[in-house]
Amino acid sequence: MQTLLQALSLFLIGAGVFFFAVGTLGLIRLPDLFSRLHALTKADNLGLGLVIAGLLPWVADPWTALKLVLIWVLVMVSGATGSHLIAKRALRGDGEDLLE
Amino acid sequence: MTIAWRLLGFSGLWLILAGWDPASWIIGLPSVLLAAWLYGRLARQARLPSARLTLGFLSFFLIESVHAGTDVARRILRPRMRISPGLQTYRMRLANPTARVVFLDSISLLPGTLSADFVNREEIQVHALDATVDLAPELDDLERRVGRLFGEELKPVGGLHD
Repeated sequence: MQTLLQALSLFLIGAGVFFFAVGTLGLIRLPDLFSRLHALTKADNLGLGLVIAGLLPWVADPWTALKLVLIWVLVMVSGATGSHLIAKRALRGDGEDLLE
Repeated sequence: MTIAWRLLGFSGLWLILAGWDPASWIIGLPSVLLAAWLYGRLARQARLPSARLTLGFLSFFLIESVHAGTDVARRILRPRMRISPGLQTYRMRLANPTARVVFLDSISLLPGTLSADFVNREEIQVHALDATVDLAPELDDLERRVGRLFGEELKPVGGLHD
């Protein structure tokens, strides 16, 4: 049972790290600001979710589990809202140095 | 939501973040009070959906998040990236402000789409990694789900123009 749980955690965290890496790769490869935002919001959201899911079986108490999930939710909401604001500024062209 | 519920909710959040140490309330108490006051000011018309509906939406959201992540990863990892980015306009029908925010944030987290800007009160600009497909059916479905979450029944006419 322990080994099974460990394997599951390893898989989830590994997958999470993979999505973080791909998100960063997207930041480098994708051609424009909007497409890069796609890579960041979606890949990072999934990456963080997977890492946290992999950590959940090993927390000391339920509070820590709640805290981890709360961190995920907050990062997700701020990521989505932040990318919306960045895209909006870029579209209107009134940000600082946002357009190439 | 009454003030008592608000205070209880934010105290719970603080407890999760800071733990049981009584000394943490030196910062926690003012923060909770401030948060409860701000919430009252910012979200005067906010309505919270029922737990059952939230759970339903959450499971849809989690599955779609996995879709979104794998979709964007697959596009990025191809030697020649399969993208043709562009903007589309969508006419929003949700009236409730909270529902609108949930809709906009969900757009950004779901496959292929990113909420970008308001054209006016109703129309939003959505950015897509592949703008050759019509986004309207997908957005319409998402908007309907968000609407149901907040008890809004949307008329079947979807707004779709590019």
